Amino acid sequence: MPETSLLTDDVRALIGIEHPLEPARVTLRSVRRSMEVYFGAPQPADYAEGDPVPGYAIAGLDSDGDSGRPEPPRLLPNSLLISNDWHFERPLRLGEAFSRVYVVTNISERFGGRFGYSIDVRSETRFIDAAGEVAARSGSTLTQYDAAAARASEEA
Amino acid sequence: MAVSFAGLQEGDELPALELEPRLGQVIRYLALGWVFPEFFFDPEAAKAQGMPGTLVPGPLKLGLLYRCVAEWLGPSGFVREVRAAHRRPDLTGKPITIAGRIARLYQEDGSRRADLELAIINAEGQPSVRGFAVVQFFESA
Repeated sequence: MPETSLLTDDVRALIGIEHPLEPARVTLRSVRRSMEVYFGAPQPADYAEGDPVPGYAIAGLDSDGDSGRPEPPRLLPNSLLISNDWHFERPLRLGEAFSRVYVVTNISERFGGRFGYSIDVRSETRFIDAAGEVAARSGSTLTQYDAAAARASEEA
Repeated sequence: MAVSFAGLQEGDELPALELEPRLGQVIRYLALGWVFPEFFFDPEAAKAQGMPGTLVPGPLKLGLLYRCVAEWLGPSGFVREVRAAHRRPDLTGKPITIAGRIARLYQEDGSRRADLELAIINAEGQPSVRGFAVVQFFESA
């Protein structure tokens, strides 16, 4: 366990900074590919421009042109996805274009427990429609920990 | 048959969705994001990382929870929110069951909604994921 908290002012200052990502558009191809992921095989997906599409589409949008996404702050050597989520204010529609921003929404630390000292980084991508409203969000929380230190602590 | 808000009761169970995520499905998921950690598709790389085999990625399991809810809801509404808290890994090629129940029926902002408790149960009967979803019905309050 570190002698002092790793959550310095510099780290906390990362919370809330909006990083613009490349825009994304709901295409029939991305909807079909997303559905195929979750069904394990191609699915009938004949949507017309403007039709509501299943929320799976967000998985395709979230991965579309992610080169502008910064790495979350790396404070400890190991990391593990502990939770993730999708939120929709309304159904997404075929042909819709979204601007996207990536935000670290929270960073917190835990002392003790399964991973020893650990840090949770919660981040999300926001999908903003032509009216400037957040239509959907895709979020995740990664816990960072030091596996070697946790093992040593267990053995002590 | 389409579900109707009026016909639902708190405690009602969703039809269980029994699945067996395959390696091919995992590869499709990785291709969607164009990110390919070897331990997700190469059994030897997975073993080198201390895993018994290739795992089903957490974000893929979130989408499977979404699928369970969306198939139950049908055209009656849309899924506003789905969340997954990952408790233990699931191996590819192993059966899982997605279970759900209605925790709360309510009205908010003029719309009818339901909160759902969800879980992915592995072949040993243990929950590998605890989940939660909110659905909104198209019929207005």
